[in-house]
Amino acid sequence: MKHSKYIYTTIAMAMAIFLSACKKDYGNLNSPTIEQFLGNASKSELNNLVSGTESGMRNNMAFYLDDVGTIGREGYRFSGSEPRYVTDLLGANDASLSSSNFYITNPWAARYRVVKNCNTLIQAATNSTLITSGEKSGYIGFARTIKAYQLLLNLNLTYTKGIRINVTDPDNLGAFVSYDDGLSGIASILDSAKTDLGTASVAFPLAGFNSFNDAPGLLKVNRAIAARVAAYRKKWDDVLTALNESFFDVTKDFNLGVNQVFGTGSGDQLNSMFIPKNQNGEVRVAHASYATDIKNGDDRINKATLRNSTASLNGLSSDRDVWVYTSSTAAMPIIRNEELILLYAEAKINNSSFPDAITALNVIRRGHNLAPYAGASTTDALLTELLYERRYSLFYEGHRWIDMRRYNKLADLPIDRTGDDVWTEFPLPVTEQ
Amino acid sequence: MKKFIYFMAGLLCFLLLPGWLLAQDKTITGKVTDANLVPLPGVNIVINKSNKGTVTDADGKFSLSISGNAKLLISAAGFKTKTIATEAAQTDIQVKMEEDFAKLDEVVVTGLATNVKRRNLANAVATISSKQLTGVAPAQTFDAALNGKISGAYINSNSGAPGGGISVKLRGVTSIYGNTQPLYVVDGVFIDNTATSGGLNAVTNAASGGSPTSNQDNPSSRIADIRAEDIENIEILKGASAAAIYGSKASAGVIIITTKRGKQGKTSINISQDLGQIAARKLLGVREFTADRAASLSRDPATSAALAAQFTAAKSARQIYDYEKEVYGNKGFARNTVLSMSGGGEKTGFYFSAAQKDEDGIVKNTGYRNSSVRLNLDHRITDNIKIGISTNYINSSADRGLSGNDNSGTSLGIALSSTPSFAQLHPDQFGNYPANQFGASNPLQTIALMTNNESVNRFITGLNLDAILQKNNSSITRLIGRGGFDFYNLETNALFPSTLQFQAVNKGTSIQGATKNLSTNYILSLVNTFTPADKLSLTTSAGITRETGDYNNLLNVATQVISGQSNVDQAGALTATQFRAKYQNDGVFIQEEAVINNGINVTGGVRFDRSSNNGDANKYYAYPKAGLSINLTSLGLIQKGLFDDIKLRAAYGQATNVPAYGSKFTSLVVSNIAGNPGSLVNTQRGDPSIKPERQTELEAGIDFSLLNGKLAFEFTYYNKKINDFLMLAGLPASSGFSNKWVNAGDLRNRGVELGVKAKPISSKNITWNTSVNFWLNKSLVTRYTIAPVPQGSFGYVLGSFQIEQGKSATQILGLNGAGVGVLGNAEPKFQMNTYNEITFRNKLSLRFLMHWKKGGDNVNLTYLQNDFGQTSADFDAMTIKDGVPNGVYRIMQVGSSAKVFVEDASYLRLREIGLYYSFNKLPASSFIKNIRVGASLNNYLTITKYKSYDPEVSNFGTGFSSGVDVDPYPASKRASLHISIDF
Repeated sequence: MKHSKYIYTTIAMAMAIFLSACKKDYGNLNSPTIEQFLGNASKSELNNLVSGTESGMRNNMAFYLDDVGTIGREGYRFSGSEPRYVTDLLGANDASLSSSNFYITNPWAARYRVVKNCNTLIQAATNSTLITSGEKSGYIGFARTIKAYQLLLNLNLTYTKGIRINVTDPDNLGAFVSYDDGLSGIASILDSAKTDLGTASVAFPLAGFNSFNDAPGLLKVNRAIAARVAAYRKKWDDVLTALNESFFDVTKDFNLGVNQVFGTGSGDQLNSMFIPKNQNGEVRVAHASYATDIKNGDDRINKATLRNSTASLNGLSSDRDVWVYTSSTAAMPIIRNEELILLYAEAKINNSSFPDAITALNVIRRGHNLAPYAGASTTDALLTELLYERRYSLFYEGHRWIDMRRYNKLADLPIDRTGDDVWTEFPLPVTEQ
Repeated sequence: MKKFIYFMAGLLCFLLLPGWLLAQDKTITGKVTDANLVPLPGVNIVINKSNKGTVTDADGKFSLSISGNAKLLISAAGFKTKTIATEAAQTDIQVKMEEDFAKLDEVVVTGLATNVKRRNLANAVATISSKQLTGVAPAQTFDAALNGKISGAYINSNSGAPGGGISVKLRGVTSIYGNTQPLYVVDGVFIDNTATSGGLNAVTNAASGGSPTSNQDNPSSRIADIRAEDIENIEILKGASAAAIYGSKASAGVIIITTKRGKQGKTSINISQDLGQIAARKLLGVREFTADRAASLSRDPATSAALAAQFTAAKSARQIYDYEKEVYGNKGFARNTVLSMSGGGEKTGFYFSAAQKDEDGIVKNTGYRNSSVRLNLDHRITDNIKIGISTNYINSSADRGLSGNDNSGTSLGIALSSTPSFAQLHPDQFGNYPANQFGASNPLQTIALMTNNESVNRFITGLNLDAILQKNNSSITRLIGRGGFDFYNLETNALFPSTLQFQAVNKGTSIQGATKNLSTNYILSLVNTFTPADKLSLTTSAGITRETGDYNNLLNVATQVISGQSNVDQAGALTATQFRAKYQNDGVFIQEEAVINNGINVTGGVRFDRSSNNGDANKYYAYPKAGLSINLTSLGLIQKGLFDDIKLRAAYGQATNVPAYGSKFTSLVVSNIAGNPGSLVNTQRGDPSIKPERQTELEAGIDFSLLNGKLAFEFTYYNKKINDFLMLAGLPASSGFSNKWVNAGDLRNRGVELGVKAKPISSKNITWNTSVNFWLNKSLVTRYTIAPVPQGSFGYVLGSFQIEQGKSATQILGLNGAGVGVLGNAEPKFQMNTYNEITFRNKLSLRFLMHWKKGGDNVNLTYLQNDFGQTSADFDAMTIKDGVPNGVYRIMQVGSSAKVFVEDASYLRLREIGLYYSFNKLPASSFIKNIRVGASLNNYLTITKYKSYDPEVSNFGTGFSSGVDVDPYPASKRASLHISIDF
């Protein structure tokens, strides 16, 4: 019948056009994909991963420093728009740390993102046939060092809740390990990176590594971080061994070391720890005790400058701005000589080599316009002195809270409002539970 | 049976064919009137089964040349369609039209190329007429004009910022992180409704992480560009059972917009002018300070004393200000001019309009401007081939201010929240603004110096082709082609000069965005209508469709900008980002519709779709649909009597929602350092096997009308299931990724829609038309395969959404004092609206629209911000707990309970009310045919207990998580005067 004929014609026509329609898959128009890197990466692609890794280390570091700085009562972050800095972090009223809030989720994720990038770099370098074995070791040694450092920062936050060490396969993540196992895991990653770097040739561009941008330099950086980890593990002989292989030098500038650097270039970042002096609303101020506890003449008072007017929020106040990061492109230290000198002193104190310890402490004191140490040569007295120096030398570099925790002294931190708490650790982010 | 039908059909052909062949041309004239013999102009007269026809003139007269004894179909909106057989001898006919109170003869689009009368419709299709859209109290933008008018929809305004920004959810949550917004089709052209961020996050830092954009940048919806005045009518296909045939983009429903078209006859010209005033709907008020309260702003004794002294000094100098009123208290002037012309000859018709509106906002230096030109042309090439062309050029510009969440103290609301009344923010005699000692920005300075503009140049062109390929007495085959393109250029300009208080670090920021978007679509189909017998009609349609999109967004963020400059090269630092998205969807469809005995309507169809966004770009997915309606009165099963018309109906359909562009890739984003280009793994993990969501909807209902159609009821029940809904699932952050798109589970929406239309009074002097709608929706997550985590807001501490199996998709969880518990639900318990039009003596007309939303909770953080800044109006009252000031009490809840932030956002709103008078009995000789004057109020009366600016709010834009309230641009109300003259 006519009717059916038209239907058939219609269908036939439609099918003809349907079948002739061309295939379409546009691919990713906006950026490279991970598969591209894992194929057979060229040197410049691997260099891009190195720079991405170095760049990514800076992400959310301000949250990390505010976490450690606020709980360690180094100072406060007053924000008109973000109350949780002064409620949750300080344990105001009944507030406690939440597993879903920015102060833990953001820095935690940012560190593991860099770990992912490091793992991608390791895998890409392993798969690449376009580089020499020395170059391969260089990429892998760098990636492992940075990975260990990133894991350490997260472990500092979650403490006994631990971290995952093996996160290569996102579908099959390794288990959480305890604080002690976490530290030993990090130490062994650093050790294998040391082996890599021993035979490496490094020719990739690094931004904040100053003169430590070649294989021997990176090895020194690796050992400096290893010294910190060994101190956290209370392995004092290991601290000294690592320091020996690092860039530790009592005669050199305190600021010698490696940094996270910032810039205004395209796709670059500014240092969000920088807030100009005397701002209102969004401010980072030093804890009042910073000025009251400091010794006369200590030049480190300049790290907390006097404000025109007192800043206050929610029952907290301070008349000093944190003035550690003095411009939006100021560098943020990863590890520097001043810390290494203090690590040396700490190891010597704990090994009861008091004269060596005092010598090192006096280097720091002299550097900050203080008279040589005149206190008692006992472990207790020297540790108190050490913690003082660490508090002022490493102000807002992410140490105070961890130091006080290491020596079971969190209860000594000042409480400013009735009902406030000093937290020992952050809960694991909600996504990890 | 089938054979019998074909036999009958053949017989009929045989009998009728000779007469048809012998027919001769003749001219027929006639006059069409209503029941009271008043002539009806603009009535369509079409020769059955052809594209030929005409329209009655101002006196209701027409003339048309026809061949032989063709049947004439005579139709007009609001009247029942008549079929007139033209006897051989008859050349002058009189037609009396009957009013169609229940709108049973209204023609509704059901397929891509077919339509059906409401009498036979299997779905509940909502329609909005031109009068309902713009004839009561016109809203600023087209999207805002839809609010409260669609039964079954949850429409929510994101903020009061000029230029629109509306979320429309039809029949509940269609998707969580996929597309939740309906497809808009204007004259066959699929309209792009992407909301493009202007990069404000670079300044507000609302979402941390350093990206210049976030979903908290409060951009407008691009659908807001469309001029409501050009629209003839809107049909809303709410779910898959009706919308399936529209394919991949239609899973959240389709809003089909038909614009006005020219009609044969004298050219008519209309000029309309609106003048209005816009004001804030509600302000929250500010805390009344005393010296003691000023002192309490600081715990530091010296600062406290200084603050107290500052207050006392300000008070004696009479320098206590209500900054909220200064910031949001602007009285905006609004004007809107529309010139339209329409007319046409026998072969060609045209509609032309040129319009411009210009409106100020309730914040100084904000506002909206829209200029538009439209030309719609229809031409009959031959009796069998008809084409229609729609062209529209739009230029819109919105200055939207700076509002919403931020982490930098820059947005107006956040700045106000910490600024007490004794702060001194006014400029000195040289125009220099002092720094706000209580906040990171001085809001008065921000308003005066900043710019946040979106401007759009947009072309929309559509083409309709309707060609009759074959016809005989029992069969007619048409080729129908529809398609077009929608192209726009969107420029965003956000400028923050270095003198602004919060630009101390960046020393001037200029964020310049340029977006190009081209969307195209076409539908080619063959439609055969086969009428083997009077009692049977079969419509077969089959065709192909294609949609493409090409979106390219370039965003430059310049800082350290040279004073007074905005060009991004006039700056010390520049960061550029680019985002592109491209897709192509292909579809093939076949649909069969049968009308049996004029009372049974059966529809079945299937559509095959593929999309380049799917994991497998070449795989076709099949989406069937079917519908059945049985009209008991038409069939004669129930005699017309008390019931004028009773219809039972059911419809079923499936539709797809494709994954977002790029969700199958794990990409590396650029992250540079010191000039070294860096690649950093993205936080979103791709899934190469990502599948589209599949929606299955079943709806059933009964429609009946009584008293000759003067009272009509429509009852619909639906069950809409979404399988494999896409979820941006959180991943353990230790994987290096934050989230990944997954097909995470199933959810379901069940709801009812009840509508009553009535004409309680219909006398010569007074007529009253009313409609009342009631609707509700309940969602339930029936399957969920990933771990539930808080999302779409700011975590448990402040109240957050969370998808969980066995729970409502829109539940709000948060701390409840004893852990985490359910604190509310964003979904309204039910909604109701009523639209009324009362006309006196056919001259004076009172129209109003009321809308009641019962239930539905918001997360109100605006009040919390004010508490933190110690400026909330009731800070010192002790109404919540004895002896504890409310402000202090609420702050104490943070970290232990989020109950006070999750607030019931019910409202009863008189959305629109207008009174119009028409001078329609002007002397026949007059050049002017009609003058209408009127006055209207939009959004003037709202009854709500909700404590922030407006219960309609969404800090996160149009996505899933609406109702989060963080210092939005406050909602406005408008009063307007209207005059409209017809020539």
